[in-house]
Amino acid sequence: MTPAIRAEFRKFFTTRLWWGMAIAVVLSGAAFAVLFALVFTSDIARGPQGAAVPQTDADLAKAVFTGGIQVGYLLTLAIGVMTIGAEYRHQTITATFLAVPRRGRVMGAKVLSLLVIGAFYGVLSLAGAVGAGTLVLTAKGHQPFADSSIWRALALSLLILGLWALIGLGAGILIPNQVAALLISIAVAWIVEPVLGLVLALTDWGQNISPYLPSRATAAMLESTGGGFDGQPVEQLSWWAGALVLAAYAAVMAGLGTWRTVRRDIA
Amino acid sequence: MDPAGPEPTGRIEVRGLTKHFGSFTAVDHLDLDVEPGRITGFLGPNGAGKTTTLRMLLGLVRPTSGTATIDGRRYADIHNPLTVVGSALEATNFHPGRTGRNHLRVQAAASGVSDRRVDELLELVGIPAAARKRAGGYSMGMRQRLGLAAAMLGDPHVLILDEPANGLDPEGIRWLRGFLRHLADEGRTLLISSHMLSEVEQTVDDVVIIANGKRVAQGTVEELRGEPTAFVRTSDPDRLTAALQQRGLRVAPKAGGLQVTTEDLAVVGDVAHASDVAIHELRSEQTHLEELFFNLTETEGDRNRLSGAAHARAGVAPDLPPPMLPPPSGPPVDPSVVAAPPADAREAGR
Repeated sequence: MTPAIRAEFRKFFTTRLWWGMAIAVVLSGAAFAVLFALVFTSDIARGPQGAAVPQTDADLAKAVFTGGIQVGYLLTLAIGVMTIGAEYRHQTITATFLAVPRRGRVMGAKVLSLLVIGAFYGVLSLAGAVGAGTLVLTAKGHQPFADSSIWRALALSLLILGLWALIGLGAGILIPNQVAALLISIAVAWIVEPVLGLVLALTDWGQNISPYLPSRATAAMLESTGGGFDGQPVEQLSWWAGALVLAAYAAVMAGLGTWRTVRRDIA
Repeated sequence: MDPAGPEPTGRIEVRGLTKHFGSFTAVDHLDLDVEPGRITGFLGPNGAGKTTTLRMLLGLVRPTSGTATIDGRRYADIHNPLTVVGSALEATNFHPGRTGRNHLRVQAAASGVSDRRVDELLELVGIPAAARKRAGGYSMGMRQRLGLAAAMLGDPHVLILDEPANGLDPEGIRWLRGFLRHLADEGRTLLISSHMLSEVEQTVDDVVIIANGKRVAQGTVEELRGEPTAFVRTSDPDRLTAALQQRGLRVAPKAGGLQVTTEDLAVVGDVAHASDVAIHELRSEQTHLEELFFNLTETEGDRNRLSGAAHARAGVAPDLPPPMLPPPSGPPVDPSVVAAPPADAREAGR
């Protein structure tokens, strides 16, 4: 198993994808932190209209530091898709399976390496976000590290990026064309699924379903408050339940992908 | 190679191997034996099922039925297979954004081979500097050499190469020939596929020919070549026949002329001259192997019927297949063999 994992890491760090993504993750982390910090600490947001704005310093810091996570997880989702998509597209999957013909082992190596890679990008994202966010929050007279729940949110955001990479891995296998897989998975994760969540939240029966959607589970892990279409805060799982739900999505997607890969002919 | 496993035999055995893709039968009850210390050519027209067979042998495609083993084991059951079996399938299996060297380093990591070995192999195949550039810009020849280096990575005793001469220049093909012969002389097993007989005829010891997923012929190159024959057209076939028979040559009438069992055109000419017979045409005929292969490749649109007939008579050398004139600009048959067979090539066949 160890050789297969080493091979996966070498694959990832020997193309230009990784540092292009690294730059994007750091910049988006920093940019969203600054944006959220400025908006949430502005006079308008803190006035009587700002119902959905975090009030305590701890909630504020969490919202600022994890503000770029949504873009971050879309990027690791894309990485997950490309990890397997590029192998099929450029037929390097042949070489991969020649070296390690036990395909389940290859998929296991991909899952583990993607979790680490997701966490690696999480660290980069947080480095940008905490760095830039701390500057703005301090300048505005807020405590950036008011209590320990911030650290939990930071740790969980590493897990979030890893789990979304696994969802991408599954999508990259189930949708054979890499470009289509990228477009579909990002469109669904970025637009379709969050909108669906908000629409569901408007209906009586959907209210019970929407907290279990991946984006809502992700938000629950970060305990970030969000408003629905009607401006009221939407119902949300606890952070650990959100983590379990997101992990379940990742397990199902990676599992389906593995099942498909083990059976597929590499022609 | 694999200290835990049984003594490696280096034999490749394929038994009753069959693959259906939907209603299409790509490989049809194929039997195949490949021996160590020899180079075996795996020949057939495009679409004959060569690549599918190799991919089943390497565990990439799941057979519908039948078995394919190396050292008596399925590929997936071989511990750290790159140290036992090296293979190069297509020349396109590289990520265009990754350097050739890094491609090998990935494979090295997966099979526990050192990076030093990677650099040694790049020297061996003659692309140490170019392999540090991204693979997207590689020529076909570069890709073949990189693929060969990848196959050699784990110092395997079995090598399976799919169309290794494809895209190599004549110099590269000569180099490849020497390289493969050297490997076979070390006792390794080499299985080399090609859709062009001329590319491998001078390289291989044994030949397996398939068409429509079925084996059409298997044997040594010498066996399959058969006896060399000359075709002669003359003004007086009877007189020439008698004169040639007097010289101890076998003669048979054929397609408006005579077929003489000899490789020496000069003898035929001299005999005709001595017996005062005019010659209208005199040439070496294609070997049985060339004819067999030519018939398979030239009638690709109609391969089912033909391969069925050929299959039924496989192994019956002299009367197979129907006589056919060499094409004016036809298949890529080695010109040296068509025009005047080199004596040493013929003698090797004895």
